[in-house]
Amino acid sequence: MLLATAIGRSQEPAPTVASVGNKVMCTCGCVAILNQCPHQGCSTHDEIQAAIQKLIVEGKSEPEILEALTARYGKKILAAPPTTGFHLTAWVLPGVGLIFGLVVVVLIVRRLRHSAEASSVRSEQVDPKVMAAMEEEMKTSGLGTRD
Amino acid sequence: MNQLGSVGLIAGMAFAVFGIVAGGVGGWLRSPRMLKSAERAALAFFVMITLAVVALEYLILTDDFHNAYVAGHSNRALPTYYKVAVLWAGQEGSLLFWTWLLAVYGGLAVLLNRAKNQQLMPYVIAVLMSTAAFFAAITFFAANPFAELYMTTAGGAEPFTAFDGKGLNPLLQYHSMVIHPPMLYLGYVGFVVPFAFAMAALITKQLGDNWIRITRRWTMVPWMFLGAGVLLGGRWAYSVLGWGGYWGWDPVENASLLPWLSGTAFLHSVMIQEKRGMLKVWNIVLVITTFFLCIFGTFLTRSGIVSSVHAFAQSGIGPFFAVYLGVVTFFSVSLLFMRLEFLKSENKLDSMVSRESGFLFNNWVLLAAVFAVLWGTLFPVISETVVGETVTVGAPYFNKVAIPIGLLLLLLTGVGPLFAWRKTSFQSLKRNFTVPLAIAVVVGAILAAAGVRHFYAWVSLFLATFVGVCTLQEFYKGARTRQRTGGENFFQAIYNLTMMNTRRYGGYVVHLGIVMLFVGFAGQAFQAQVKGLMLEGDELRVKDYVLRAQKISTADNPNYSSMELTLDITKNGKSLGTLTPDRRFFKASEQPTSHVAIRSGFTEDLYTVLAGQDQETGKAVVEVFVNPLVRWVWIGGFVMVFGTLLALVPSRAERQMAEIRQEQKVASVVAHAK
Repeated sequence: MLLATAIGRSQEPAPTVASVGNKVMCTCGCVAILNQCPHQGCSTHDEIQAAIQKLIVEGKSEPEILEALTARYGKKILAAPPTTGFHLTAWVLPGVGLIFGLVVVVLIVRRLRHSAEASSVRSEQVDPKVMAAMEEEMKTSGLGTRD
Repeated sequence: MNQLGSVGLIAGMAFAVFGIVAGGVGGWLRSPRMLKSAERAALAFFVMITLAVVALEYLILTDDFHNAYVAGHSNRALPTYYKVAVLWAGQEGSLLFWTWLLAVYGGLAVLLNRAKNQQLMPYVIAVLMSTAAFFAAITFFAANPFAELYMTTAGGAEPFTAFDGKGLNPLLQYHSMVIHPPMLYLGYVGFVVPFAFAMAALITKQLGDNWIRITRRWTMVPWMFLGAGVLLGGRWAYSVLGWGGYWGWDPVENASLLPWLSGTAFLHSVMIQEKRGMLKVWNIVLVITTFFLCIFGTFLTRSGIVSSVHAFAQSGIGPFFAVYLGVVTFFSVSLLFMRLEFLKSENKLDSMVSRESGFLFNNWVLLAAVFAVLWGTLFPVISETVVGETVTVGAPYFNKVAIPIGLLLLLLTGVGPLFAWRKTSFQSLKRNFTVPLAIAVVVGAILAAAGVRHFYAWVSLFLATFVGVCTLQEFYKGARTRQRTGGENFFQAIYNLTMMNTRRYGGYVVHLGIVMLFVGFAGQAFQAQVKGLMLEGDELRVKDYVLRAQKISTADNPNYSSMELTLDITKNGKSLGTLTPDRRFFKASEQPTSHVAIRSGFTEDLYTVLAGQDQETGKAVVEVFVNPLVRWVWIGGFVMVFGTLLALVPSRAERQMAEIRQEQKVASVVAHAK
């Protein structure tokens, strides 16, 4: 589900009603992207679509169209937060969280490895004949030595 | 019957409170009699809440429109199987259903642990009953499904019975929607049990891997149900909402995904504690987080703090959930800190390239996904609070943020299981990854040559190939070894190999299901869509398909009136039969819905929607999508469920150990008798 429809949205060369409609919300209260408004004959949907069409005919680029819609309906019409001011944190923090988490994991792994020498001394104390018998048993069962 | 239901709820609350006290005191005093009382309280809670549920279902099925809930969510014309589903259709009924499932899980936990885990069980029951008491209280005091209708007259309030009800939300009148909420709730509610055992382990300081072993299956079952519930919701969205997709990153959808992600991290991480006695603190954190996210998801759906198509009507129960979440977090985190000295690792990590590290990195990615989805879901509320501006965080945001994380997860799904415990040699890495990588490169080259230019789709299919081959390789190598040493045929060897270690190989089957999911996701990159107006005889073309409107008809029944469009389908000149999408107008609720018609195949779906009727021309408004590889999403889901069920089956080693323990027990009893 993490990739659901994500992969489906590739770059758009020139704005179309459909492409812009994937980036703005319908404000009728359906809580859906404009293209996915489930209300047949939704006047709000038709009004926004008409506004988009008019701006495309005027030769506006997609960012200009989104800006015009925002000016008219408010930031809430955008289906994703803008990349300015506080709203930039919406985009930045997941990446920061990912990197921070990676640093934490690497630190944990290093810390847990700190006394690896002590562990290896303990494992040498197991009777080699018993170890060999166990390895043989696991090989013939097909389970290998990974579990 | 209203009164009977209320009595059931009140009595249930009383038994839950008694269970908390008996469990807590019984555990503190180590009293078997108090433990017995607590067990009986938990079972009595189940009986009382069942009584309440039976009462409400009776009211629904007998069209008792004096009950406010029945009048608000059912109607006379509703088919019986949908009437059963009315129980969980609204806020009040679904809370009661939640409480009942909690009673079921609690009762099972008690029955299956009788004469076992005597030190833990008093506290397990106390924690279960505290959650039960909260939900029963919320249901009774804040969202009572047994409230009655009254009419204000000159003489005061008089009982009122509506002639008919408002009916079930038309969007819920679909088969996968009937079972989607129960599956989700079985998942949400089920995570209470491992949480209760974790708290009991902390309280009693029994923090070895005993509680982990006890709760393994108690975790896998709700995890399976939650995953199935999430996919069923996607299937419903695909089949009913008519926008050609199956996941819209709606806040309530996200809320169901969050505990599944953290639960996945927990399921993997516990293996490290079992095998190496490590990450004890981390596992407690994960089970607390998962339980918190389950309750949080319930809170999100019912509080109205986020806008969602799924949310119940806004009510006043949000603050109660917020307080409960606060209390649970405070209690569990405090307990964790108090017991830190008992949670030290027993072993050290030998290598960065090891199964243990693999699981840690797996946890890292899963929790990064939890953070990203949670942050995006709550951002509208955060933005409004911090800067006073309302913004929307919809699919375009989550799509951009989720891709890298999802692909990382897919990679680790293939790589992690092939690392050895403690340390993986370079030779082992070369041996395990050469063939999968080679095959993936070949497939990647073929895809590129075939014109697959969408970067993320290409990467997804490349990694799916790599991970799929890595996983199948495990079955192949193990089976070949058994063939060589035991003389079994290949399929016998696969079967016996799997039964020797169901947990491991069931897990591999789940991984194969994940691979299939990602193949399905990748297909979205190649979706084609067309929209048009049609009268009988008109044609629409999309890709290689030609759709001709054969017939437009109308129908009427007591529940709804409908308009149907029969489409003749041909592909490259060959007839593929007909599809009949329809649009229904439900009379009781005065709402329309579309029922899509889908021709589904392993390579693509042809998806047709009758979106309505054009007011000016009277023509049918038709939308057609071609959705490549979608079926693999549903197949992947089935495979994941199958893999989980397989992993739940006791392996041969487990069964042999259980037999030995039973023989020892019998011998001990006999010796004692002598």
